[in-house]
Amino acid sequence: MDIFGDLMMGLSLAISPINMLYLLAGAMVGMVVGVIPGFGPSAGLAILLPVTFGMDPVPAIMMLAAIYYGAMYGGTITSILLNTPGESATVASTFDGFPLAKNGRAGPALVMQAAASFVGGTVGVVLITILAPMFAQVSRSFGPPEYFLLAVMGMLTLIVMIGQHWKLGVVSALIGFALGTVGVDLETGQGRYTFGSAELIGGIYFIPIAIGLFGLGELFYAFYQGLHKTGTGGIVQYDKEERFWPTRHDWISTRMTMARHSILGFIVGVIPGAGATIASLMAYSTERSISKNKANFGKGEMAGLVAPETANNAASSGAMIPLLTLGIPGSASTAVLLAAFLMWGLRPGPLFMEQNPELAWGLIASMYLGNMALLAISIFAIPLFVQMIKVPYRVLGPTIIVICTLGTFSVHASFVETYLMFGAGIVGFFMRLYGFSPAALVLALVLGPLAEEALRQTLTISRGSFGIFVERSASLWIIAVTIGLLVLLPLLGRFGKKAEEAEKAGT
Amino acid sequence: MRIAFLIVVLAGAVFYSYIAFIDLNFLTRTGRLGPGFFPRIVGVAMVVFTFWALVDALRERRAAQDDGSAWRDVVTLMALAVGYAVLLRLLGGFPATVVYLGLSLVIVNPGRHLQNAILTAVIPTAIYLLFDRLLNANMPPALLDLPF
Repeated sequence: MDIFGDLMMGLSLAISPINMLYLLAGAMVGMVVGVIPGFGPSAGLAILLPVTFGMDPVPAIMMLAAIYYGAMYGGTITSILLNTPGESATVASTFDGFPLAKNGRAGPALVMQAAASFVGGTVGVVLITILAPMFAQVSRSFGPPEYFLLAVMGMLTLIVMIGQHWKLGVVSALIGFALGTVGVDLETGQGRYTFGSAELIGGIYFIPIAIGLFGLGELFYAFYQGLHKTGTGGIVQYDKEERFWPTRHDWISTRMTMARHSILGFIVGVIPGAGATIASLMAYSTERSISKNKANFGKGEMAGLVAPETANNAASSGAMIPLLTLGIPGSASTAVLLAAFLMWGLRPGPLFMEQNPELAWGLIASMYLGNMALLAISIFAIPLFVQMIKVPYRVLGPTIIVICTLGTFSVHASFVETYLMFGAGIVGFFMRLYGFSPAALVLALVLGPLAEEALRQTLTISRGSFGIFVERSASLWIIAVTIGLLVLLPLLGRFGKKAEEAEKAGT
Repeated sequence: MRIAFLIVVLAGAVFYSYIAFIDLNFLTRTGRLGPGFFPRIVGVAMVVFTFWALVDALRERRAAQDDGSAWRDVVTLMALAVGYAVLLRLLGGFPATVVYLGLSLVIVNPGRHLQNAILTAVIPTAIYLLFDRLLNANMPPALLDLPF
């Protein structure tokens, strides 16, 4: 079947009333998660994953994916109205978003960010539609050596992006690998690190760790930063402005910005470890350097808001490519999505789209619909989200702890897993505080067992020789791409950092 | 505190490696890679990198600049969370959530008695309806025999 036919089949599935209902619920929840400062898509996905356990896989995956890309839309509302990014990927949106709001243009800024997010997200999905089958085709020749190298590539690129604290990133990843070795060894049946506990025979389950690290850990860190003491007094009153809708000039002057950064954001999103934050900072920096109105950047330039918004949404779509076609997540959020797939017995990879066409194409089609829904929600439900911004952290905090706890317990009705989640929350707080990387830990926890299995199979095939990694052309290609990324990514990171520094310096 | 945290991680890494070398075989009887192969690589790497990070942290050692009040708030929240875990085991899902939320809101959101009372009633009820009735999910059972 051709791509168009597959897409139509997916659309017919996605458009059913029950799937649409879950899709809208996911988009709405994603926006709420994005609005809460400190909580990104990974936290939202981890906390809400248990809620989807009672559902069928198709609506559940659609809903989780909608939470994932919906968070990108929501995070910008606080960037514009409160100068507080909802998550790291919307930091660049504060640079011009908040000055626009201060200049009495909050309404046009909110509408333009929604439009830019829609364009970035939709172009991203179009590119997924075209490229995902091609990626899957290429990766069909992959065997255990290539899968091991892909897992290594995913980890290395993430660690390289950590920058200054890379050693702590390596330690975080190794902790994740270590946790991934707990349980019965599948080849020999021998218990590893179970210490006689029946609960640990099946290994350390991913969900309590992810909920603890991203849910509780982030919450404790937000309290440490004093977010519960800050009010919302600085919120810009957009409803008193003369004009809510953008001008014709706003649309015309930013149309090429949207086109440029949709492509750039998507490419950065496909690279494991780079993600939406780097994409948005890069887009801001690039737009600023090529703009005729350089001097206006940082003072309320519409292109300065549109560029990062388009890029971060395109990047979140791009990150779905390695997840769906290789089964390798490139970020913490896509690692949680992978865990959701595995939970339903689905294994993303080269054969995923062929073996599960309804789910794969239903998911892709739902992303078109989800972006349309989010465009409408993020314009017309702004008053609702403004009310949510006003809910103080000191009330949100205890409520989030309740949801995390009961959500974790509901998975396997296990108190051990619930206590593990609390432990991961406390450890996650210290990791965040001292520069470790909870994202690297979670990614390693997911990739660790896959990497170990692939490595052992590889060395069995090669009779213990590591030379197999340079004997196969596919392996050599992956090694070359990994080396290229290890050289390129620090430069991209520096590029983003420069944009932030320039913004802080007001130049 | 950072150094203390790194020492704890290092101790864990040493313990992990010890088990990997003592309990887990590198090769199986048939000569294939055994259950200890991967843990030994991970364990040794973890010890090396944690030690390296610890040396760096000792070199960069600066006077503690921690804000006492920030620690007080976060430790309070952690203690409340741990208390909630204990309450869940004893009282079960719904009663423990009511007690925990009531107490937490009094401590972290002081002086707003009416708001706290409403939230203490509404949030556990909404969560109970969502998990138990709508999603048919597991709620923690009580260890103690409660009359309700």
